[in-house]
Amino acid sequence: MKRKSSYFIIGLCVALLASAVFIFLAALRESKRPADTDYMQTGDTPSIPAEAGVFRRLAMALQYQKMPEGGRDLRTYYENRAYPGAPPLIPHPLVSEKGIGGKTCLQCHENGGYTEQFKAFAPVTPHPELLNCRQCHVPKTTEGLFANSNFTKPDPPVLGQSAMPGSPPVIPHTLQLRENCLACHAGPAAPKAIKVSHPERVNCRQCHVPARLDDLFEKPLMEDASTWTRPVSPSQRNGTQLDEKEVSAIGEWVRENNQ
Amino acid sequence: MPIKSYLALACENQLEALRTEVLALGCEVIPAENKDVLIVISETKNEEEDKALLEKLNSMKNLRHLTLVSAFAE
Amino acid sequence: MAIASAAMAAATLFPGIIFPNEQLKGLPDGDDIKWKKSPCRFCGVGCGLLIGVQKGKAVAVKGDPASEVNKGLCCVKGYHSVLAIYGKDRLTKPLIRRNGKLEPATMKEALDLVASKMKENIAKHGKDSVAIYGSGQWTIPDGYVASKFMKGVIGTNNLEANARLCMASAVTGFMTSFGMDEPMGCYEDIDHADVFVMWGNNMAEMHPVLFSRMLDQRLRRNGVKIIDFATRTTRTSMASDRSILFKPQTDLAVANAICYEILKNNWHNRGFLQKHCVFKSGKTNIGYGLEDKFQFKDEPKDMTLEQFKAFLEDYRPEKVEKLSGVSAKDIKYMASLYGDPNKKVMSLWCMGPNQHTRGTWMNNLIYNIHLLTGKISTPGNSPFSLTGQPSACGTVREVGTLTHALPYGTVDNEKAREKAAKIWGVPVTNISPKPTYHTVEMFRALDRGDIKFIWIQTTNPFVSMPKLKRYREGAKKDDRFVVVSDVYPTPTTDVADVVLPAAMWIEREGMFGNSERRTQHFEKMLEPQGEAFSDAWQMIEVARRMGYEKYFPWTKENHVEKIWEEYYKFHEGDKHGIAPYEVLKKESGVVWPYVNGKSTKWRYHAKYDPAAKGDSFDFYGKPDGKAWIWVRPYEPPAESPDNDYPFWLNTGRVLEHWHTGSMTRRVAVLHQAMPHSYAELHPNDASRLGVKTGDKVKLTSRRGSLVLPASVNERGLPTEGQVFVPFFDESLLINELTLDSFCPISREPDYKKCAVKVEKA
Repeated sequence: MKRKSSYFIIGLCVALLASAVFIFLAALRESKRPADTDYMQTGDTPSIPAEAGVFRRLAMALQYQKMPEGGRDLRTYYENRAYPGAPPLIPHPLVSEKGIGGKTCLQCHENGGYTEQFKAFAPVTPHPELLNCRQCHVPKTTEGLFANSNFTKPDPPVLGQSAMPGSPPVIPHTLQLRENCLACHAGPAAPKAIKVSHPERVNCRQCHVPARLDDLFEKPLMEDASTWTRPVSPSQRNGTQLDEKEVSAIGEWVRENNQ
Repeated sequence: MPIKSYLALACENQLEALRTEVLALGCEVIPAENKDVLIVISETKNEEEDKALLEKLNSMKNLRHLTLVSAFAE
Repeated sequence: MAIASAAMAAATLFPGIIFPNEQLKGLPDGDDIKWKKSPCRFCGVGCGLLIGVQKGKAVAVKGDPASEVNKGLCCVKGYHSVLAIYGKDRLTKPLIRRNGKLEPATMKEALDLVASKMKENIAKHGKDSVAIYGSGQWTIPDGYVASKFMKGVIGTNNLEANARLCMASAVTGFMTSFGMDEPMGCYEDIDHADVFVMWGNNMAEMHPVLFSRMLDQRLRRNGVKIIDFATRTTRTSMASDRSILFKPQTDLAVANAICYEILKNNWHNRGFLQKHCVFKSGKTNIGYGLEDKFQFKDEPKDMTLEQFKAFLEDYRPEKVEKLSGVSAKDIKYMASLYGDPNKKVMSLWCMGPNQHTRGTWMNNLIYNIHLLTGKISTPGNSPFSLTGQPSACGTVREVGTLTHALPYGTVDNEKAREKAAKIWGVPVTNISPKPTYHTVEMFRALDRGDIKFIWIQTTNPFVSMPKLKRYREGAKKDDRFVVVSDVYPTPTTDVADVVLPAAMWIEREGMFGNSERRTQHFEKMLEPQGEAFSDAWQMIEVARRMGYEKYFPWTKENHVEKIWEEYYKFHEGDKHGIAPYEVLKKESGVVWPYVNGKSTKWRYHAKYDPAAKGDSFDFYGKPDGKAWIWVRPYEPPAESPDNDYPFWLNTGRVLEHWHTGSMTRRVAVLHQAMPHSYAELHPNDASRLGVKTGDKVKLTSRRGSLVLPASVNERGLPTEGQVFVPFFDESLLINELTLDSFCPISREPDYKKCAVKVEKA
């Protein structure tokens, strides 16, 4: 098939997708074979469910708009990481070297807020369920090096990548451990350049999809959708598609609004 | 020229058969590695052709379920 | 573009479905990072990583969600592991010592010299004057080539690896209790167990990914308890439900006291004991291996349950309380957790019980507890011995790169020698039936002059050996020839006569085997730097120069695959079958025994293990299918604090650094978080000495002394009268002070206990 660059989007209808998801999942679940062992099999359930955190900070959504600007910029955000996507360093002194999770780091980093001591808003962690913070996040206690390095830090992803003018930008980074969008993209600790203009629309991934292929590895099915599990009939199957007229109507609208 | 992508769920253990069926209809196919699921991409000249193709897709023997994901047109 | 977008939209709709990446190209992103799977380079957990490669360089890391080991989560070392490849001072050229100085040379010169020195020494001083000392960081093919080269072709058992220093007691523990090495369970046990008991194991720092899995389970399920049984308060203690401290070496007594309580309260599983266990006793007062040419052989004798009970009378909790510093109440509490029939219990340990002058006994004792209660070989009931190196299991233990071992069986077994000779295509008489030197003794032999030539690969013994000075000075003696293959200059390359630059980790193809019997393959993702190539190929080049080409007929491109095909033959069968090459390439990891296309998660139980006969347990490692419960008493360590040297010295690791730090210290993030070593002191001791954090203290043992900064109540808190020092720092070598006493059965040194004095410096 030939590739053409000047196609316009017609459909990517949300309601349709939502219903498609449920029906499809139902069908898929039906085809799963039952486990034949007497113990609960856990091998397939990742400890970091990539979808679990999507809606986590939803309750805060409306308040975000009223929150002040914290003044953190994207440059320092990336400077604090060995490469884009690496666990950030701890840029401040610590209360305890032995401390773990809930009693230390999470006091400030679970929900954020202003800290007088550092004159800054605490960034919010997208994965507060992981308690051994220091497993991945370490402080910098010296500027010196043991030996110089030839490692080259890749450039951070380009912002505002969209398939077409006006379409929602794609997610340029991996979602693993960062599946809760609002933790980093909303609130006073969010770097200005990546702050979302519409935090009240909490279903981020309704419009923003991952751009990078590497997110396509196995993740668990959305367990919550099982409540909707039901058999699928052929009539339901047909009901999930837009009719051609609706499709072209949406296409018209998109074209007009983009010119 | 409508371009559409679908997800097609094959009947149990019939992924390969479904793939052959879809390919025979002239669509591009990307099978999943871990589930009996295919991505089907269709490119047709006009709406009539597209509609006809959809009917054919829907009547495939090894198809359990078909769902439209996205559609593009010129 | 529209086609690609349409495909992409479909592919991302359902997160649970995987589509092949190649077919989904052409996205708006323009990002050219390619992600490839590999086990982590560092510890024995064996996390699955996805390594981002861009323009021929590794630029990023993330956890592989398809890996059952870590399910997408790594630790700070794993996330920054690829930076360790790019230190500016990577060894890229061979070096030869000329007039006392290491000078650049060509690869041909260097390899010719190594081969001629090996030949010369064999001709002059015999086969047993040359040795190879490898590592649990060797890939499986590296270890295999070393074994074939030394044991099969040259015909000497002078092959050891640094895993002797960390896992030997685990091996002898398994062998004496079960007759087969490596754990019966797997990491999935964590998802089923109700109680976790860590025996001298600071998992929050040393095995953080598995520790997080435990914490995660505690959050998800009711009633999950984590018990930290240790000599020092750490992050692990802080996160545990109960932290119980014991005096060094008394874990032996506490374990026996737990057994006493279990039997006293009738918490033991009678049916299981009758059907699946026997009781044995061994020699006592077995020594500490401090003298050269120390020999020991245990003699198991049959025992009865009644005799075992009588033996345990000396270990009533009330009696053990004083010796161990653990209250009788805490001992009874631990016993009640093991004894509760409704709780699944997982015990975890690593260097605490292993680096122990009674390391084999300590391993036996933990198995005793699990065997008495029948909590073994089923999901969640698991005595689990953790590993420190990425392939200590895969390479050293499974290939058998130890003086007594072969890829299958031991050298003193005629059948095992015949099997090896047949697969290797060598006369069976080539393989010597007598083990020669275990690691400590190998370096003693080098010092004495019994060994003249040693080739050290992928390890840094002149930081990691105990009682360092003797062994370093020995290696420097005039007619000793030391070859070192490594990726960076280290205190070990400092004493080398030839340094060969090695390809590191993903610069070559290989396999590692982790703690849960999982074999993981990685492809060559990067070009090696300079003239470097893999350890395996270095040995092949030298072997060819010595006239042994026909035993290594492979090419540089296909040798890993060919080696695997040959090695595969050693383990055929349902007790240790390994996965074929193609399967390893595809899967993120495969657990052996791999039978009929399936990994075996739990061994010795017919329900999960195809090799087990009957309908329940079958400990088929022993001829009668029964596990051995050992009578193992408390015996004191080789050296205890006294008036002159009143403190215990305990050594170990920190989260940021791995082993001798030659890789992790070259990662800016890790070095800057933990730039140097230190001495942890209890606040009471510190105030008595007038020392606060950052002040210099001088530690002195009978072997040497060292001045280093004090750390008072920071990361770790030793008990009063104890100092703890990490060993990663090559400029603050704590092993100058440690003692080379070892467990007589495993010959693994005890790095956790010796006597020092502490002064303000």
